Amino acid sequence: MIHISAAFNKTIKELLRERAALFWTIAWPIIWVLIGSFSFTGSAPPEVIPYIKGAITISMMVFALMIAGMANLPASIAGDRANGLLAKLISMPIKPYKDFIGRILAVVTLSLLAAALVVAIGSAVGARFTGAGVEIPQAIGFIFMVICASAGVGLIIGTLIKHLQGAIMTGVGIAVITSALSGLFAPYDVLPVPLQMFSRIYPISAAHASIVCLLAGPDMVGYNPLTYIQITLIIAISLVLLVAGIILYSRLSWKLA
Amino acid sequence: MYAIHVENLIKTYGAKAVLDKVSLSIEEGEFYALMGPNGSGKTTLASIIAGVRTPDSGVLEIYGKKPEEAKELIGYIPQENFSSPKLTGRENLMYFTNLLGYSGKEAKNLVTGMLEHIELIADADKRVSNYSGGMKKRLEVATALFPGVGILIMDEPTSGLDPYARRSFFDMIRAVSGERTTIFLITHIGSDAELASRVGLIDEGRIIAEGTPDELKKEHAVQDVITVETAVKTDSVLPVLKGFSIDGKVAESETGYKIYSRNGDRVLADVVRSLDQAGHKVMRIEMARPTLEDVFFKLTERNIQEATA
Repeated sequence: MIHISAAFNKTIKELLRERAALFWTIAWPIIWVLIGSFSFTGSAPPEVIPYIKGAITISMMVFALMIAGMANLPASIAGDRANGLLAKLISMPIKPYKDFIGRILAVVTLSLLAAALVVAIGSAVGARFTGAGVEIPQAIGFIFMVICASAGVGLIIGTLIKHLQGAIMTGVGIAVITSALSGLFAPYDVLPVPLQMFSRIYPISAAHASIVCLLAGPDMVGYNPLTYIQITLIIAISLVLLVAGIILYSRLSWKLA
Repeated sequence: MYAIHVENLIKTYGAKAVLDKVSLSIEEGEFYALMGPNGSGKTTLASIIAGVRTPDSGVLEIYGKKPEEAKELIGYIPQENFSSPKLTGRENLMYFTNLLGYSGKEAKNLVTGMLEHIELIADADKRVSNYSGGMKKRLEVATALFPGVGILIMDEPTSGLDPYARRSFFDMIRAVSGERTTIFLITHIGSDAELASRVGLIDEGRIIAEGTPDELKKEHAVQDVITVETAVKTDSVLPVLKGFSIDGKVAESETGYKIYSRNGDRVLADVVRSLDQAGHKVMRIEMARPTLEDVFFKLTERNIQEATA
């Protein structure tokens, strides 16, 4: 346990002291919550506006989770590889899985902190959510699926992209492009049919749609994401991405040629 | 039993043999320096001994054990500054202390003791981004000196440090390492290697000479080193100098030339006179005892610093 907490403490301190990580994970989504809440709700009926703000808040919360997993996690791995820390760790009597559990827990903590701040700011500017009972733990379950999928992608990027800046740019690029393509920033109805298919298969946008459906109402989503098939798909693909990331990280990052 | 025993170690990257049947044995408590230019294979050898890389073939034993079974015994300091610049010195040390399984008060006491040993206690709570190069290296040495570590492997620890910081670094190493601690130093700096009890010279993946610094200088018949700087550096200086150097070997540097002689004090005046007669104005000439860089040049006809650059 002490090994895991060592990796956790180091990673969380580094993330919280890195201005770029804080900006992209926390400040940037909050800025878009503010812009979206005041700019994109003008023509909607007044009684719907709080729920549109709620949907925007959820979108930005999911985006914050994506950035934490897809950019901050690979940045942490690539940075440690570039400065020789991975070589140092390999020489020590420690197990790789303890290191990545510590790292992932730190990213989860930052993700939840970012999510909480985004929701708090969204609520402060008028976002309202419909769910009250069982919807909340269900939504939290989908949030963890977003974290699993993002962390999996982040571990793969951090393992395969050797340079720090390359890892960060790849992570941000994948997060932004897949968010745009999968309808995280736009209504599902306006997406072309192939992208609607992608939106249902991509675990992050599918989990996002489920959270919006649970907390902002089914009217905010263009399809029913809460079917058994859809939920099974989200869980399966998220876990496959996480397991693939863990296997690649422990086999390749912890072994030098 | 040797602390480190390497026999016929081979490591290749593609078609290139980075280590070509390297063999060496280091006794417990010995300070061994492996000196060579960039690309000579010394970092690869250090990382294999540290268990970070695996060789293609050959025997490697750490106190008679396989490297993966002897990780507790090894303290490895890679060439790069691996301490986190966003953490303080104390937090960095606490990270490694916790990774090795120490916790609570025991960990705190261990970290404080280490910081006192490496004389960083006053700066312990500053972020490492504010540390000088020498302070970072001292901190990183502490990460390799936990109880039970018997072999300290340091890869170019003084790169980028000024002479004062280098001297102070090795003073600290002497103070903190125990009598039984085996030190394996990787370097391309002769004055650092001179501090070792035994030196191996490595070039193109092979150990080309081994012995104490004095033995190496004697064995390879390097005597006095005469450094000459002329007003203008031209090709016509070389033939004049070759006549005065053992085997006709002349090492060139950016500013001048080095020649090797068995009776430098007698040759000195003749060198000046001959250059003067050939129309070359001598700006500086000095004689010095040979260094390990000179031994390397004698063996390879390449200047180690230029080969490294």
